[in-house]
Amino acid sequence: MDFQRFKPHLPWITLVVLVAAVGAFDDTFLKPASLLSLMGDIVPLFVMALGLTFAIYIGGIDLSAQSMANLITVVASLYLAPLGIWVAALCILIGFGLGMVSGYVTTRLLVPSFISSLAVGGIAFSLARYLSGQRALNMDAAQRDSVFGWMIGKSWGIPHELFLSTVLLALAVFVERRTTLGRVLKAVGAGEPAAAVSGINVARYKILAFALSGALAAIAGLMFAVKLSGGAPTIANGFLLPAIVAVLVGGTPLTGGVGGVLNTAIGTMIVAVIRASMLYFEIDATQQQMVFGLVLIAAIALTIDRAKLRTVK
Amino acid sequence: MYQPSKVEKRFPGVHALKSIDFEIKRGEIVGLVGENGAGKSTLMKGIYGAYQPDGGTVLIDGKAVGFANPRQAMEKGIGMVFQEQSLIPSLSVMENIFLGYEQHFVRFGVINWKAMATAARAQLAKVKLDIDPAATTSALSFAQRQMVELAKVLMLEERVEGDLVILLDEPTSVLANDEVALLFKLVRELTSRASFIFVSHRIEEVMELSDRIYVMKDGAVVDIVTKGGAQVEAIQHKMVGRKIDKPYYREQRQKPYDAGKVLVEMQGVSLPGRIDDISLTLHAGEVLCLVGTEGSGREAILRTIYGMRTPKTGHLAIKGRKVTHFGPRHAVEQGVGYVPRERKTEGIVAGMAVYENMTLSQMGRHSRAGVLRIAEERALARDWIKALSIKAANEFVDCGNLSGGNQQKVVLAKWRSGGSDIMQLDHPTRGLDIGAKEDVYDMIRDMSDAGLGILLVADTLEEAIGLSHSIIVVKDGMVQKRFNHASGAKPSLFDLIRHMI
Repeated sequence: MDFQRFKPHLPWITLVVLVAAVGAFDDTFLKPASLLSLMGDIVPLFVMALGLTFAIYIGGIDLSAQSMANLITVVASLYLAPLGIWVAALCILIGFGLGMVSGYVTTRLLVPSFISSLAVGGIAFSLARYLSGQRALNMDAAQRDSVFGWMIGKSWGIPHELFLSTVLLALAVFVERRTTLGRVLKAVGAGEPAAAVSGINVARYKILAFALSGALAAIAGLMFAVKLSGGAPTIANGFLLPAIVAVLVGGTPLTGGVGGVLNTAIGTMIVAVIRASMLYFEIDATQQQMVFGLVLIAAIALTIDRAKLRTVK
Repeated sequence: MYQPSKVEKRFPGVHALKSIDFEIKRGEIVGLVGENGAGKSTLMKGIYGAYQPDGGTVLIDGKAVGFANPRQAMEKGIGMVFQEQSLIPSLSVMENIFLGYEQHFVRFGVINWKAMATAARAQLAKVKLDIDPAATTSALSFAQRQMVELAKVLMLEERVEGDLVILLDEPTSVLANDEVALLFKLVRELTSRASFIFVSHRIEEVMELSDRIYVMKDGAVVDIVTKGGAQVEAIQHKMVGRKIDKPYYREQRQKPYDAGKVLVEMQGVSLPGRIDDISLTLHAGEVLCLVGTEGSGREAILRTIYGMRTPKTGHLAIKGRKVTHFGPRHAVEQGVGYVPRERKTEGIVAGMAVYENMTLSQMGRHSRAGVLRIAEERALARDWIKALSIKAANEFVDCGNLSGGNQQKVVLAKWRSGGSDIMQLDHPTRGLDIGAKEDVYDMIRDMSDAGLGILLVADTLEEAIGLSHSIIVVKDGMVQKRFNHASGAKPSLFDLIRHMI
């Protein structure tokens, strides 16, 4: 069979094969309860990957996502007490704003997004260290439960995070498939010059894509802070690589234009299964990033559209 | 001595070379002519090793050879002088000449620059170019760089055994008259060192220089003409497979335009380094052609009207309203449509469906609060697929998979469905086959009938003359000559060329 026609189906086939393989080794793995808790644990990563999808879909990348989440855990812990529920709005606003900065630098100052978002990530990280005074911060448990208690916990055996992530996924699918924004992002990823010549203000939409990425990274950070009841400037470290892996193994190539947020949902599940199997095979936590690094390389090599690359540097 | 035979090449959906037989003898100059898309460039790429033929054999002095890449072809003495020059601007002249052959000048791992400069001078002498080999290439004029490129290929003379075959791809397209004469004189003298294959769509030049001419059409050699064996018209006839006459450009459908209704008015517009003091007026129903050589400023004029460039001086009015904000979005709102030359990158978005492409310029019209009414978009696409008889199974087909002619129709549909009444067409028939070209000509007449103003940069001069009501000849960014032949008295090729170069 022709590989090009087979390629779009690769992500879900990979997922099914992986689940079956791990299930064959570990007979507790396929129990609904363990699958649900597996998926519940991966939700912050999924939300971060969801945001990254927008940046990658247009052919860019957002390397600030992890530092953004770090910063937000600090902000959430510091300002939960004075602001209450409004701290969520503050967090999302910060993520959106810093994402816009990456987008602005990329589109107006013509700095490639990998470097502009890396720089913004550096700023976010440093800000997190400054705000936290380089300490781990704790939320007041009672206040956390009263304001954000609905985020954690279970109903009918299903972790609440899963409901939240389903809502976010549905919103993202709607944006991608049904709105002008989604259509423009696809056009920018698949053929930016034609979009610009069609009279579309491409820069504005690109900035918006990075802003969405930042906002979703902020939501991921907030969920993280709520779950751990605190924050620290390095608490989300180790998330960036798996999040990028989730987008790419899902089938959105670095060159953009194809794939999308549903692909990222599948990609995140693949990452979750890989992670669970590493636990089962007792691969040490220090070695897990090695595995993700290798998976990332394989995923990029398989998905990237070489027709769009003139030279690789 | 160099003889490809029965060469075949197929690409997905295209039979690009059909059993090509070709021969070039020692010291011969062979011309290669054909329309865009006839297979000239594919054949050239096959000869210098950028493509590997799917079938057939290539003989050099009776021995079969095959090239996996251009370097291997160079080892056998086949060199290419590129149309888009292949020199690296930031390197010196000698580094460019010996690019990839530096090994001969290396002693103990370092390059002996003196030896290289001496060797470079010897190469430059072959092309009668007296410049410092250490000069930076970007500082040279275009004609000088072309000579350096030729010297680079002639360098193979000392590096390989056997004879040289040098391909010249449209070498005259950006040269002035006297530079062309110099180049031809040089090429004739160099036949003592090499054979040449000369590719151009300027038939007169090919006839002047070549000993024999291969005429290609639709991927096949349709005729071989010896020097003095045929008239320009006869060769043209063979290239297109039919007589180029009035019905071809739909001249019988040409009607007078509405001189009372001005759509675009440009006055004294300048963009430093591109265009200088350009004034023009486009009326409803008029086909106005911009004629000039590559880089003469035609594209800059189109892009200014489309708002992609902001003029330094002068003013532009669209439908009587002075343009103050330049930007494609404003131009589109004013009813300007733009069919760019690079159809595959700027015209369509490959990877998006036909219907998504058609509404790309007018999503605001099919959405509320940013939410698209997709059913409406699809209905519009179905109507236009029917109206322009676009060969697409349905509106969901990926635009990248359509043929060139159908892609062009999608681009036209994008603007027409959005109600654009000023249509800028940049090389709209580039790379299309004859049938698709005629469709485009018909559409231009349809648009003219419907009262649209059309600003056209044609693919060939014949096309410009055949389609237009008026012609503006541009050279070095300035208007050289205006022709208004709405009456039907059209200028000749010679009239235009005189002012172009």
